[in-house]
Amino acid sequence: MLPLRIAWRFLRSSPGQSALIACGIAVGIATQIFVGSIIISLQANLLDTTIGSSPQVTIQAIKESDPVRFTPAMKELVYGDPRVKPGSVAPVRSVPALFSNGTDSATLGLIGGELKDLNGIYKLKDKTIEGKASLGNGEIMVGKEFAEKFGISPGDAVALSLQGGQSGSFTVTGIFDLGSSQFNARQAFVSGKVPQNVLGWANDEYQAIDVQLVKPYDSKAVASSWSSRLPGVSVVEWQGQNASLLAGLVAQSASSYMIQGFVLVAVALGIASTLAIAAVQKTRQIGILKAMGLSDRSSGRIFLYQAAILGVAGSSLGVLLSFAILALFSLSPAPFTINMDPKFVAASAAIGIAVALLSSIIPIRRTSKLDPIEVIQNG
Amino acid sequence: MADTDEATVAMIEAANDASLDAPTCDFGMLLAAKDLSKTYGEGETATHALKGVSFDLCNGEFASIIGQSGSGKSTLLNLLGLLDTPTSGTALYHGIDSATISKPARALLRNEMIGFVFQFHYLLPEFSVFENVAMPALVAGKLSSAEIRSRAVETLGMLGLEGLTDKNANMLSGGQKQRVAIARALMNRPAILLADEPTGNLDTLNTNLVYDLFREISRETHTAFLIVTHDRSIAERTDRILEITDGELVADVRNSYLQSETS
Repeated sequence: MLPLRIAWRFLRSSPGQSALIACGIAVGIATQIFVGSIIISLQANLLDTTIGSSPQVTIQAIKESDPVRFTPAMKELVYGDPRVKPGSVAPVRSVPALFSNGTDSATLGLIGGELKDLNGIYKLKDKTIEGKASLGNGEIMVGKEFAEKFGISPGDAVALSLQGGQSGSFTVTGIFDLGSSQFNARQAFVSGKVPQNVLGWANDEYQAIDVQLVKPYDSKAVASSWSSRLPGVSVVEWQGQNASLLAGLVAQSASSYMIQGFVLVAVALGIASTLAIAAVQKTRQIGILKAMGLSDRSSGRIFLYQAAILGVAGSSLGVLLSFAILALFSLSPAPFTINMDPKFVAASAAIGIAVALLSSIIPIRRTSKLDPIEVIQNG
Repeated sequence: MADTDEATVAMIEAANDASLDAPTCDFGMLLAAKDLSKTYGEGETATHALKGVSFDLCNGEFASIIGQSGSGKSTLLNLLGLLDTPTSGTALYHGIDSATISKPARALLRNEMIGFVFQFHYLLPEFSVFENVAMPALVAGKLSSAEIRSRAVETLGMLGLEGLTDKNANMLSGGQKQRVAIARALMNRPAILLADEPTGNLDTLNTNLVYDLFREISRETHTAFLIVTHDRSIAERTDRILEITDGELVADVRNSYLQSETS
């Protein structure tokens, strides 16, 4: 491994230059990891905010006012599909209601279902900010904005006028915040029996079967396969209803890739130019080594190993630097947290090393072509 | 060395083991320069640095090449050292025609059979004295670490450099650097040491020291020496003088003649 030994010694003989180039790679890779992680986390956050607490696939009747029957066959299909997130299937019934406290009034959509099912979709237990998540008989959970507007607290009673002239009084058990002020102001959760009684539907009749998936982006394929196997119902999915959001995410990803690409090009140019200078600086040494019988291939390998050492050192340093930047970022009041995907970090470090190796092509070619007589004749 | 074709390696090794018998050489023929020519440039601007030089050199022979500056003596040495390629003609080492072998094979031949000492020492400043001397053996990759160390120490001892082993090459005096360069040239126990004005940068004391060393090494190891110089008094300390003028070999004088002329 003489070329490796020489490469290491050459790097050690110019510690400042070697440290500078390693730092250059480190900054590039740290930027790459940080920017990439920000975009990935931002998108995950946006996706979670948008669809994390809402249905990703919904089975409903073709005519909106009709119920959909949650038949055993449909249950088998939905619960048996491995793409469905376990515990995230909620058959729901909804009815409109009118709230009035004597001076003020507001319409409220009542979503009725079993708490455990609704929790699978809306994460009600996690999103309850006051009181507790409970949907027993005569109980209701209202949203944060609704509660603030009407000064409602857990334990208060609210009177609602329901469809068909019925009315009822409900005890507020908890106040939720699902991240959407519109949803918080206009929707409330009740037991599934409430809308069932108002609508007069059978036990297996629902407005919709709400489903969340293990991978949200599978929604198109799931909806398509269920549509073909469930005649007489409509299967809608989130991507079809959020085209502009998806376009935004794609554009964001493209800009992120572009930034990362330019960072890598800058890193590559930096390494290539420094290694090319190093090759010129070591021309005399390479020439005399060749005069001693070092082959073209071995002399080329010196700079390949230099690039590999710098790439590994720089990328490792870059990963550490990105952790430090992340730690600093976590101190700032950012509205979301950055999660580093170990695979992405490893891929970024690998790309850093690959870029360093690619950057050594010019000095390798130069070194391989060097004739010892050029050095001997020119002193 | 792994990229050298196996057939050539075998040929060089066989040649190393058994040099050609030559009736005029006590220890066999080492080198044959056959009509070596070197021309730089083309057409009207062409410079004929060397014009059809031919001579033979025996194993262990202690010879010099003398000539004025620009006469072509360094060009001849570079061609014989396989550092440069001739425009025509060839150099044969133990019968191996250097013109017909591949570039990696030429590198192998340089590594195994030829040692170089130049006017400038060309030591590697990134390495210690020991590493500089060991470098040709490390390039060859044939000896174990222990063998390399032992031989490097022995070679440094031959040149009186025992105490400098771990010093950086940059820390030495001019004379010491040149002696380290000589030790490096001898590390692989070459068949020939080619020296181009090896004492050009040294004072008289060091110059005498170097030539005494050359002579002693030649006697002890039967290494052939071919020393390029422009200084006739230095050339006269060798057993044979090859004189180059305007790229042509104009004289080839043996020791017996020198002795009779100077006596």
